[in-house]
Amino acid sequence: MKVIVMNCGSSSIKYQLFDMEKVRVLARGGVEKIGLHGSFLINRRDDGDEVKLEGEIYDHQQGIEYILGVLISRKHGSLKSFDEIGAVGHRVVHGGEKFKGSVLITTEVLDQIREVIDLAPLHNPPNLKGIEAMQEMLPEVPQVAVFDTAFHQTIPPHAYTYAIPYTLYRKYGIRRYGFHGTSHRYVSQQACDYLGCAFVGTRIITCHLGNGASMAAIRDGKSIDTSMGLTPVEGLIMGTRTGDLDLGVLTYIVQKEELTLNAANTLINKFSGMLGISGVSSDMRDIEKAAAEGNERARLALAAYAYRIKKYIGAYSAALGGLDVLVFTGGIGENDVSVRAASCEGLEFLGIQIDPEKNEEIRGGRKGLISADGARVKVVVMPTNEELVIARDTMEIVKGMNQKKN
Amino acid sequence: MTVEPIEDYALKTRVRKKGGLQKVGLVGCGNMGQEIAYLVARNGINVEFIDLTEERIAEVFIELNQKLDNIIDKWGPTESEKRAILSRIHGSTDYSNVSDCDLVIETINNRKPGTSLELRKEVFRKVEAVVREDTVIASNTSTLIISELASVLKHPERAVGLHFLPSAISGGVVEVVRGLHTNQASVEFVEKFARTIGKKVIPLFESPGNISTRLIVVLINEACETLMEGVASAPDIDATMRLGFGLQFGPLEMADRIGLDKVIKWMNNLYQEFGERKFKPNPVLKRLYRLGYHGKRTGQGFYVYEKGKVVGQTITCPEIFVHN
Repeated sequence: MKVIVMNCGSSSIKYQLFDMEKVRVLARGGVEKIGLHGSFLINRRDDGDEVKLEGEIYDHQQGIEYILGVLISRKHGSLKSFDEIGAVGHRVVHGGEKFKGSVLITTEVLDQIREVIDLAPLHNPPNLKGIEAMQEMLPEVPQVAVFDTAFHQTIPPHAYTYAIPYTLYRKYGIRRYGFHGTSHRYVSQQACDYLGCAFVGTRIITCHLGNGASMAAIRDGKSIDTSMGLTPVEGLIMGTRTGDLDLGVLTYIVQKEELTLNAANTLINKFSGMLGISGVSSDMRDIEKAAAEGNERARLALAAYAYRIKKYIGAYSAALGGLDVLVFTGGIGENDVSVRAASCEGLEFLGIQIDPEKNEEIRGGRKGLISADGARVKVVVMPTNEELVIARDTMEIVKGMNQKKN
Repeated sequence: MTVEPIEDYALKTRVRKKGGLQKVGLVGCGNMGQEIAYLVARNGINVEFIDLTEERIAEVFIELNQKLDNIIDKWGPTESEKRAILSRIHGSTDYSNVSDCDLVIETINNRKPGTSLELRKEVFRKVEAVVREDTVIASNTSTLIISELASVLKHPERAVGLHFLPSAISGGVVEVVRGLHTNQASVEFVEKFARTIGKKVIPLFESPGNISTRLIVVLINEACETLMEGVASAPDIDATMRLGFGLQFGPLEMADRIGLDKVIKWMNNLYQEFGERKFKPNPVLKRLYRLGYHGKRTGQGFYVYEKGKVVGQTITCPEIFVHN
């Protein structure tokens, strides 16, 4: 079976075409700058063929049309006919309390995703656009939604409940949901496989550090706590998001700056985080460059970033009653040697000790152990592969559906 | 990496969905036109505006830039979103550039006294001369009658009133006005457009002043009356209404924000239409207007403004000294 995995952002689409029998990526690529000047599509085939297609891409539907167009083209394609596509899997950021696992997309499921749009205003709308566009293009092909929140549905009530009037939880479902579930699930499993330890009985903390960033405490393969909450704005300091913030700060700013709700929302989602502190950029590489050149605020941002991670490592070690494995993943987690070192600094009392040489070696999408020999906690860098998880989930659901039919 | 044009990879089978909104035309790009342009472009739709001269078009972009910067200061869109929004807005003096628009909105801003009926009719005529047969033509007027504007069209059924309230960006509603000839398809199309740009639609049948203008001018006028009688000062009148009824601004500050010139124009139109005294502009309003105190935009109205903030008032409450 061949499966297309889609990840639609507000102005980008990432995709991979999987051959599930051979567990191989036949083609991968992305559309960038949708609706903006200079939009393009890059497609990379597994045999090394690469092409950049330039031209206007007005919306997600048009982007998806071109993706399908290139996948079926003689010159750069990987498919002879769309009939080869067995299913499409979509990454959906917020599944609310409804979705404890991946599901086949039906009209009902779409309605439920629409219901939780407010909870992830940056992400769910483009996710939906991608699904709708794909349904229009390939109406016969079953589509599956894989939720970022699903893995965290095992978090117990005392960890997901906010200390606000309980009726608000009942009324609106306000609670901690967590995100990046697909990634936390995948890298924790992979780390155990890599270390040769059993998933059950192992206490793991995973740090997914990308543009968005979150951590999870995992015991016996189940998420028991995570740093993001109702929305992806809680927890770690991110590119442009605040992470944990005194609620009083927000009400104070709203009052002082006479902000509307929308403006307050953009303030904490788009103008804060590393960009807000450093004033340089939301990109870690730019900030590190500025810090190396002596920019004090860039240094401050980096210190705050690592400190927040360290605090969570401590908190989750307590929640887990000890720690066996610490995993770094995501663009920053997989590549940023200094962030990893700074986050673990001074945690020897917990049994965490990084080997600087090993740490230096592991980057560029490689996996590896970076803790010192003999350290109690194994610190592992594990490249995430959310697309593969989505493809697998999608295949399983569609296979199950076909079996039911027969 | 080889680079190729993307058009070669379009799937030939797909036809662009009919009824989609790709491009919106705006005729007149004053303050209101600019706010609408921003709203439309922010939602990923291209905007083509028509204004009188090339110089004016250059000015519009400077003003738009300024507007967007102000919004960014208030934690609105980010710098990159601003660039994306501006890239979707184009301007020209040539009506033929709106010929491929799905919707054209007339938003002319006539600061001269007197009614703008003839000017707006002229716009309707010019737009119809270049657009497709199914293009909807809308007017942002609130006090003029859509049917009257539509009377110059060969296809009056495509004319709709689409009234953005002052402060179009933050305001949550638009009035969608059905004229005598307007057909259902045009109304639905405009309603869909309004929802796309995030507004609640208030559907109504044509009547001068719709709901918004008809009600607000009476409140403003009565506030002037109260002020003139010396019942209370402008800040106290405003505070009472603001705090007592949960309004964002009191009626006099509201008048300043709308622009006293505009308020007077609305009232004259309504007075002419209804012949009722309640729509006759109060002498205080007229006196300020004649002084050139047109409200916040000019720095003075009922209040004095510095950098957009109220710093004083222009009228004191007349006091009666009682001699015992």
